[in-house]
Amino acid sequence: MREVAVLGVGLHRFGKTGDEIVGTKSVTELCRHAIDAALKDAGVPWKQIEAVCAASSRFSGGKGWGLNGNDVVEDMGSTGIPVYNMSAGCAAGGNAFNVGYAMVAGGVYDMVLVVGGEVMPKGMIQTSGVEEVTDPEFLRQRCVGMPGPAFWAALARRRMHDFGTSEEQFAKVAVKARKCAVSNPYARFRKEVGIEEVLASPYVSNPLRLFEICPVSNGAAAAVICSAARARQFTAHAVTVATSTVATMQFGDALPRGLAGPVPGGPSLHTEARAAVRRAFELAGIGPQDVSLTELQDNTCYYELAFPEEWGLCEPGAAEHLLETEQTTPAGRMPINPSGGFLSFGEATTAMGVFQIAELTWQLRGQSGGRQVAGARVGLAQTLGLGGNATAAILKR
Amino acid sequence: MSIETTPCVPGLFGELDGRAVLHGSRCAGCNTPYFPRAATCHNPDCGESRMEDCSFGGAGVLWSFSVADFPPPPPHRFDKPFVPYAIGVVDLDCGVRLIGQMTDAPDALRVGARVELVIGALYHEEERTYTSWKFRQIAAAAAGGN
Repeated sequence: MREVAVLGVGLHRFGKTGDEIVGTKSVTELCRHAIDAALKDAGVPWKQIEAVCAASSRFSGGKGWGLNGNDVVEDMGSTGIPVYNMSAGCAAGGNAFNVGYAMVAGGVYDMVLVVGGEVMPKGMIQTSGVEEVTDPEFLRQRCVGMPGPAFWAALARRRMHDFGTSEEQFAKVAVKARKCAVSNPYARFRKEVGIEEVLASPYVSNPLRLFEICPVSNGAAAAVICSAARARQFTAHAVTVATSTVATMQFGDALPRGLAGPVPGGPSLHTEARAAVRRAFELAGIGPQDVSLTELQDNTCYYELAFPEEWGLCEPGAAEHLLETEQTTPAGRMPINPSGGFLSFGEATTAMGVFQIAELTWQLRGQSGGRQVAGARVGLAQTLGLGGNATAAILKR
Repeated sequence: MSIETTPCVPGLFGELDGRAVLHGSRCAGCNTPYFPRAATCHNPDCGESRMEDCSFGGAGVLWSFSVADFPPPPPHRFDKPFVPYAIGVVDLDCGVRLIGQMTDAPDALRVGARVELVIGALYHEEERTYTSWKFRQIAAAAAGGN
């Protein structure tokens, strides 16, 4: 395996259809903007890209919307290069990065573009497009009616039961996220919010409120990756990829994702996310104590409390104290989502895994301005996607 | 007044001697329960995959719950005007963790309460009542004797 470097990254600022940020731009236009920025950041012309790994939101069975990597390549100029379209729900960006990483590490290509981008449909993500009784998601929605936020809310309420987490503490995660985003020019929401404002926002799914759940957004992210040897021709200080992993859900995962499963003997947690992160630690020879900052998938503020514990970054039940004592801010000892996270960006599904790579890269280069984690040396990124998909990546300098 | 009662999806659940039952399956090799029915066992440590039809029901414990404060998107169906409802995650005594709507108002629920499986109305359409399985919190006094 060859060492792999992140040579350049770029984003299109996230926004909502019709606003002054993204207006009516198509997903291809958003991606072109992000790709142009990444190519410029890398100092590489489009014609030197040897392959594209695209995070595709087009689920099988006609579900999904957005990105098709072939459209991006046609728009940038049809050089005839291979395009890999990766589908893994909200983890697709992480999957695309993983495949690009693996192919550069394995010597198949030397210079690869990873891209994700979305123009999202409005409202709650509709997960089932077909009325088919053999489709578990159809049954879940027809017989029960449990949309995504209600899944998160059930986990959040269980945490309140287990650890005494308060609604104020959930709100504080959102306050912290928005404070970080003030200094992130790519975030959709760049105004601070007070705890009173968060607590005054309506419940989407009690106990989780509007400001505590990420909305859908339009946006795009791109990264140019290459072998470390090739990177040295461009810069002496390239950010390198310590590792990149993908995992899926394990049997016995006790979370209420389908209609039913066995009552678990052990803890109820995201087995795919834990496996991806723990495997990344193992492969990289890097432990939780070495991580300078983490960008994790905070579809809801609940995850910022639960995930660090599920992966061993802190002890179970310790996250609230770390939050209250500001240890999860960029200046704390366990910074979480200094970018502002999904809560400040909104989710442009397939862009998210690549957006995290961009943030880690800027942080490790010391280019993150007011949200910079001082002396950042190691960054952890994690995604979680519908269907039991998860990815992790560790970057270092 | 609705005159006919119809399951919202046929074949998944019913009533037996006045008690709600779910039609699932269980692997006789490793005892893993499935609902809806599964053709094969998904347990990677089970080499047998001996699937048998099995009914689930009875009482259990409310592991957690959430509230649909806004109407879920299709394919969910509901009576208008929309009334927020709670969704329970229940560990049934028969070894199944199951989701379902609660018949109780969200404010009346508490994690850890005893609940039982029932069949209840989900929505009404063209003179028909469409039903699904739901959970009902068992009153503390009544549960005390169980």
